[in-house]
Amino acid sequence: MSIKKISGCIGCGTCVKSCPTDVIRLSPKDGKAYIAYPEDCQICHLCRMYCPVDAITIEPEKSIPVMISWG
Amino acid sequence: MSDKSDKGMSRRQFLGLTGGVVGAAALASIGFKYRGTKNERKIDPENMNYKENETDILVIGGGMTGLFAAVKGHDAGAKVLMVSKGRLGSSGQTPFAKGIFSYDAATASVSLDEFTEQVSSSALKTNNPVFTRQMAEHSKARVDELREWGFFDSPLYYDSFSKPINERNISVMERIMITHLIKENGKIAGAAGFSIDEPTIHIFKAKSVILCTGAGGFKPNGFPICDLTHDGSVMAYKIGAKITGKEWNDGHGGSMDNPAACYDGWHGMFAMSPSKTGVEIHHDLGVDINYRAYVLGNPVSMMPGGDNTIVEGGPYVPEKFVRNREAGAPPGGGNGDKMGPPPGAEAGDRPSGPPPGGEEGRGPGMAAGASSGGASAGMAIHKSEGLVPINEKGESNIPGLYAAGDALGSYMAGAIYTQVGSSLAGSAVQGTIASEAAAEYCQKAVLQNIPSSKISRIKEEILAPLKRDSGYSPAWVTQILQGVMIPNFVIYIKKESILKAALAYVEELRDHHSPMLRAADLHELRLAHETENMIVNAEMKLKASLMRKESRCSHYRLDYPDVDYKNWQAWINIYKGSDGEMKFVKQPFDSWPV
Amino acid sequence: MTEKSRLRYIIPGVILYLAVPLLYMIFGNFPDRTILKEAVSLLTVGAFFLMLGQFYLTRINKITLKGQKFSRVVILHKVIGYVFIPVLFLHPFLVVFPRYYEGGVDPVNAFKTILTTFGSKGIIMGFAAMALMILIGITSMFRKKMKMKYTTWRYSHGFLSIAFVVLATWHAVDLGRHTDAFLSTYMIGMAAIGIFFLAKLYFVEAGKIPQEAVNE
Ligand SMILES: Cc1cc2nc3c(=O)[nH]c(=O)nc-3n(C[C@H](O)[C@H](O)[C@H](O)COP(=O)(O)OP(=O)(O)OC[C@H]3O[C@@H](n4cnc5c(N)ncnc54)[C@H](O)[C@@H]3O)c2cc1C
Ligand code: SF4
Ligand code: SF4
Repeated sequence: MSIKKISGCIGCGTCVKSCPTDVIRLSPKDGKAYIAYPEDCQICHLCRMYCPVDAITIEPEKSIPVMISWG
Repeated sequence: MSDKSDKGMSRRQFLGLTGGVVGAAALASIGFKYRGTKNERKIDPENMNYKENETDILVIGGGMTGLFAAVKGHDAGAKVLMVSKGRLGSSGQTPFAKGIFSYDAATASVSLDEFTEQVSSSALKTNNPVFTRQMAEHSKARVDELREWGFFDSPLYYDSFSKPINERNISVMERIMITHLIKENGKIAGAAGFSIDEPTIHIFKAKSVILCTGAGGFKPNGFPICDLTHDGSVMAYKIGAKITGKEWNDGHGGSMDNPAACYDGWHGMFAMSPSKTGVEIHHDLGVDINYRAYVLGNPVSMMPGGDNTIVEGGPYVPEKFVRNREAGAPPGGGNGDKMGPPPGAEAGDRPSGPPPGGEEGRGPGMAAGASSGGASAGMAIHKSEGLVPINEKGESNIPGLYAAGDALGSYMAGAIYTQVGSSLAGSAVQGTIASEAAAEYCQKAVLQNIPSSKISRIKEEILAPLKRDSGYSPAWVTQILQGVMIPNFVIYIKKESILKAALAYVEELRDHHSPMLRAADLHELRLAHETENMIVNAEMKLKASLMRKESRCSHYRLDYPDVDYKNWQAWINIYKGSDGEMKFVKQPFDSWPV
Repeated sequence: MTEKSRLRYIIPGVILYLAVPLLYMIFGNFPDRTILKEAVSLLTVGAFFLMLGQFYLTRINKITLKGQKFSRVVILHKVIGYVFIPVLFLHPFLVVFPRYYEGGVDPVNAFKTILTTFGSKGIIMGFAAMALMILIGITSMFRKKMKMKYTTWRYSHGFLSIAFVVLATWHAVDLGRHTDAFLSTYMIGMAAIGIFFLAKLYFVEAGKIPQEAVNE
């Protein structure tokens, strides 16, 4: 299901900025990153690679049906 | 109410399918949000902030092109402001490109002229030799600068890109989605957009604008371009610029398991530091595999050891560039082992790597196992689509408006992938040249005054999806568009009847759905504008494909399968007619627009 | 004291302070990561619980320590201190260290980001806890040289420890990768019980604290 879990976040905001498709936001409640728009995740792992504490887990499945050219 | 029962159904179906193992987290993320009926606004469109920014050169985009445009424009004496909808070095395609071409005259096996000639012969003359040569000529200088900034030391580019930007104190504004280019008195006057973090509309007044906005696609699955929707081209088209290259296709495939997983499809290559590539000219990644899939059906695989059935017909590959499928194709990625290094892009000075294959070698999906198609649907060969340049500096037909890199239809490589790693190198080179030209332009230019009535109108247009109480969600419209455009028999293996059928759908989306896109927050507002741009791109692609009644390089027509050397030694330029209609005109190869 | 009777407090201690949290981490529903990363997590959480376990190895534990020879318990208390302090001291480095082996942000940059994320309460708590921990470590090592009255030292050791445990637990609950509802509750519970009994000992049963230093 694309980006799956964020745990151990220190709220530095790097992943929010690094995500090309704006999937992650910082919660106004606790200042930590949360997955705001998972359906827009392109499974590129930039957020995970940029996270200083490696808090992000990503899985290869997409959370919405996937359109491809042939099946 | 129907909304609720809808949701309930899909939830049950979903749980039935997965045995409920995936649980609540997955459920929350499943993309059925768009079935909502009413626009549940989280932002008050009547209560937006407004900010004006002024600069000499406005660089839009923070990829490889934007980096060089910003740095070199500054060094040429202009005041530069960079704005991007993502982060510097972490948006667009740049973060994922790992092989960069560097032509060193001292050691290269071919001269610049020979290099250019070979590219032209592979590209069946679809390339613009001026840009091909320019890329090679300046590539080493740019690569050397990148090395100095630390580009080759990390798989992540933010730090190395930030270095020259910070050293020069160049202003960068990130996470601002540009939606409009502004033209006054026949000249470029600036751009407008909005922040996706705070409710603020930004107007940028600039003497010159350089579009470094990259290419785009239909938010396809399997290629990390879901943030790119040809915004630059569409904005420029709307103010009268010419656009080219829409009939070509990038033929990247993906893997049949988890086709959307870009990172996995590229076997972790995104986590590698970049390296250099040397001269190696191909005719790659057009629509060969699409043709194969069309004729043979699934599964298709391009790997040695896979299915080696010879398929008759299909896209023409010049004799010299035909690759023996059995003999170790694809080059640079010849290991069928899924865990091995990615096909290609394992290049340049990496000691024991296979020969440079580059991204252009063979696509990610070309690893062992079945390939899926359409990973990059909606995107053409890098640099074959975008604004039509009127000269070698990337200037458009609108004074002060430049484009460079993937946003410029420079035909640097032609309508097929020819030189591995040249896409990145070309971005760096073109960004530099365009920006130096823009800086010179700025010396004589003045800031144009933008009438407040126009600003009000732009604000209205930006906010329209937020203000709609009802309408269509961008996610849903996007899925429909994908369903119409992505099938192999529509966008890749083309024929008139289907192109026309698809066009009917796309025109419906254009006329009835674009004007009714709605957005509940700033994220969705961005999606709404992106969706609108994708629809314009789809229309361009279909109409250009209908017009080009031949097959060549990455454009393949079942009903016109041959190269037509008599009528089609020409590119297709698209512009908006005075009646608002999309117009098409041929421009002979190896010529500049008149 | 015979072996067997010593096991009587060691076994429950190990269960409470190591087995429960570590087994929960191993078998709980957490994303799979590399062995190195799992090892770092286990080490860190283990060290944290050893730290909480220090309460267990004091006079406030009137249940399982009943009848034990206290000087031996104190030795264990010290040894464990010397084990968990370095691990917790190093854990910020351990968090970024595996990055050395993979593509992504490099460990030094990651560490810099951690150090400069002042907006995070968890980070601030972590820093404060770290400072207290070092203080506690030093004052324990050099207790003899400090020419402090034993009772004064005892009190300050206790108070510093309470402050430290509060901050460290807060930090761990806020930032811990594995601190889900269960583990957080467990941590807070264990910390609270320790603090409660220590406070009780100091304030309610103050008179009963032995005046002489414990023999080593
Ligand atoms: C997976 C992959 C592998 C590749 N491998 C290679 C390789 O090995 N070698 C090679 O040479 N090339 C490779 N390429 C191609 C190469 O990445 C691109 O050609 C090149 O990076 C384009 O650079 P650019 O700066 O022109 O555009 P991009 O890098 O796409 O940047 C576009 C920028 O514009 C911004 N932008 C877009 N729209 C807007 C808007 N509306 N408002 C504000 N900002 C906007 C984006 O945020 C982004 O910052 C690869 C591409 C991909 C996807
Ligand atoms: S994997 Fe890529 S698209 Fe998905 S959340 Fe991370 S950065 Fe964004
Ligand atoms: S980068 Fe990591 S630590 Fe920083 S906000 Fe994102 S998840 Fe949290």
